[in-house]
Amino acid sequence: MKKVLSILLALTLVLGMSAAALADTYEIAMITDIGTIDDKSFNQGTWEGIVAFCDANSLTYNYYQPSAAGTEVYLDEIEKAVNDGAKVIVTPGFLFEEPIFIAQDMYPDVKFVLIDGNPHDADYTYRTNDNAVGIVFAEEQVGYLAGYAAVKDGYTKLGFMGGMAVPAVIRYGYGFVLGAEDAAAEMGIADITMNYHYTGGFAATPEAQALAAAWYNDGIEVIFACGGAVGNSAMAAAEAANGKVIGVDVDQSGESQTVITSAMKGLAASVEKVLAAYAAGEFPGGQSLTLGAADNGVSLPMENSKFATFTQADYDALYAKLAAGEVAIKTDADAEQADGLGTTIVKVAVVQ
Amino acid sequence: MDTIYFLVQQMMFFSIPLMVVALGGMFSERSGVVNIALEGIMVMGAFCSFLFISKMESVMSGQWLLVLAILIAAAAGMIFSLLHAYAAINLKADQTISGTALNMAAPAIAIYAARTLQDNGIQQIQFTNTFRIESVPILGDIPVIGKLLFQNTYITTYLGFLILAVAAFVLYKTRFGLRLRACGEHPQSADSVGVNVYRIRYAGVLISGALGGIGGLIFVVPTSTNFNATVSGYGFLALAVLIFGQWKPLRILFAAFFFGLMKTIASAYSGIPILMNLGIPSDIYKMVPFIATLVVLAFSSKSSQAPRASGVPYDKGGR
Repeated sequence: MKKVLSILLALTLVLGMSAAALADTYEIAMITDIGTIDDKSFNQGTWEGIVAFCDANSLTYNYYQPSAAGTEVYLDEIEKAVNDGAKVIVTPGFLFEEPIFIAQDMYPDVKFVLIDGNPHDADYTYRTNDNAVGIVFAEEQVGYLAGYAAVKDGYTKLGFMGGMAVPAVIRYGYGFVLGAEDAAAEMGIADITMNYHYTGGFAATPEAQALAAAWYNDGIEVIFACGGAVGNSAMAAAEAANGKVIGVDVDQSGESQTVITSAMKGLAASVEKVLAAYAAGEFPGGQSLTLGAADNGVSLPMENSKFATFTQADYDALYAKLAAGEVAIKTDADAEQADGLGTTIVKVAVVQ
Repeated sequence: MDTIYFLVQQMMFFSIPLMVVALGGMFSERSGVVNIALEGIMVMGAFCSFLFISKMESVMSGQWLLVLAILIAAAAGMIFSLLHAYAAINLKADQTISGTALNMAAPAIAIYAARTLQDNGIQQIQFTNTFRIESVPILGDIPVIGKLLFQNTYITTYLGFLILAVAAFVLYKTRFGLRLRACGEHPQSADSVGVNVYRIRYAGVLISGALGGIGGLIFVVPTSTNFNATVSGYGFLALAVLIFGQWKPLRILFAAFFFGLMKTIASAYSGIPILMNLGIPSDIYKMVPFIATLVVLAFSSKSSQAPRASGVPYDKGGR
């Protein structure tokens, strides 16, 4: 009896496997970063881009949610996607830099789209094969937009609280400083205060809250909180002190009433752009793309912004200038520290 | 003067949770059980209470919601600390190991549960802070003291002081307190006069669980707009406060205020012109509490106030 049972069991397993193999295939696959596809953050932005493009071009698509974070786990999910017939695998977040570095060699026939990073191995040796593309964003441009908008809207005492001083965060910060400078010059404002600090982490801590509270207490009106959950500490301080916060990466207006705007990366737009290139047979393999205003890669969510005098028309005019490349913005390659950017109106006080 | 008001108001956000958690640690250690699981207990207390707050926000808000959340946090902390109590007291396990295990388990549990139990499936638990008190009626208008203690505050600040008073009273003025201290110093003697050492130690750990859980909640409320399965190492800092405070309630109060003040200055000095002009790097302020702890330990090591039986599983046969 036992033997019969085990044979039956084996048969069901085999049949089950082959049934699975016969199941639908999905051409475009997405592996989610930590979180789900409705996380109001990176995953959701990426997924919306995939859905929009694939529905418009009748391609099949699916997403895979790893059970945990980690290179091995991500590689397992990539394998699953490949087994399901994926031709393009889209992965959001810099956590995928290592898995994609490995996967681009394992599956040379599959195309990989890495958003917000470039493939590298554990020792930070970068290499992007012809079947992969890395996408990063021109953070300095959207930082510039935010700084410009804040000053145009009447704020003269600004603060920047970055997370770790990684290149992306530095670019946001420099752009913020330079945007404020240019807006002040246009308006004839003589003096802009700018407190500038990196907290050294991406967590909400009482230290970050105390710093933000002290700045607000000292007269700072708006803080560009640019370090993940650091923003939540700034929002907590802002709520207590009637201060304002500028969010980062995604539209954070839903997280606190104090958020006047957010320096957003255009995830959906970037995904659509690369998928369109793939569909046209022009996959930008081996490249590292930097998306800025010219590609709709960065933006402020004007519909959810709480500006008093900075209008949509102002925004559009500035955005057009950025897109046309008429504004040169210094980045982390040009200056060691924010007070070395050569600003004359904006007095940058770097806080160690 | 406004700077001082600001510093004191801000210091409370650091000091009160540290004090409450350290007082919790005091009860556990003075009953004879080392509780380095305070960090994990804080996380669990905060997790359960914030989950409660986020589910109940739509129907209620303000102080009553906070009071209920405090009760939930205390209950969650107690339940979680039971694991430590069982391992340390019944199984006579190494208390450092079981404490570490709880510390590592708590954030993992909190993240998993938050993703499973929340409709949006994310690990952060959002909450709206409706608990802040701009100014306490009448008391907030008192000159000087009103601004220092009764403006920009939370009821948890006063709860912290209440806990301190009750803790000191229980420890020194009640029969239970005497027994608790006896079990931490020489459990065999306590047992010989008919005190149930196991029961007292359970009580000590449970109290530390309740206070640790509450500490987790009041730590997060003023400092963020969501709970992200972490209390940033403040459970461990509370242990330092406990040692600096030499396991005594009033000294713990002093230690918590000292740590809190230094933490506040280290973080906030860039917004305070007087301190900014002194030109002392923030690293100095960050170091001071820990150097002070070392100094205190060095000077007091000969007459160390640590409960003698702390960390030693009680074995009846060893009498």
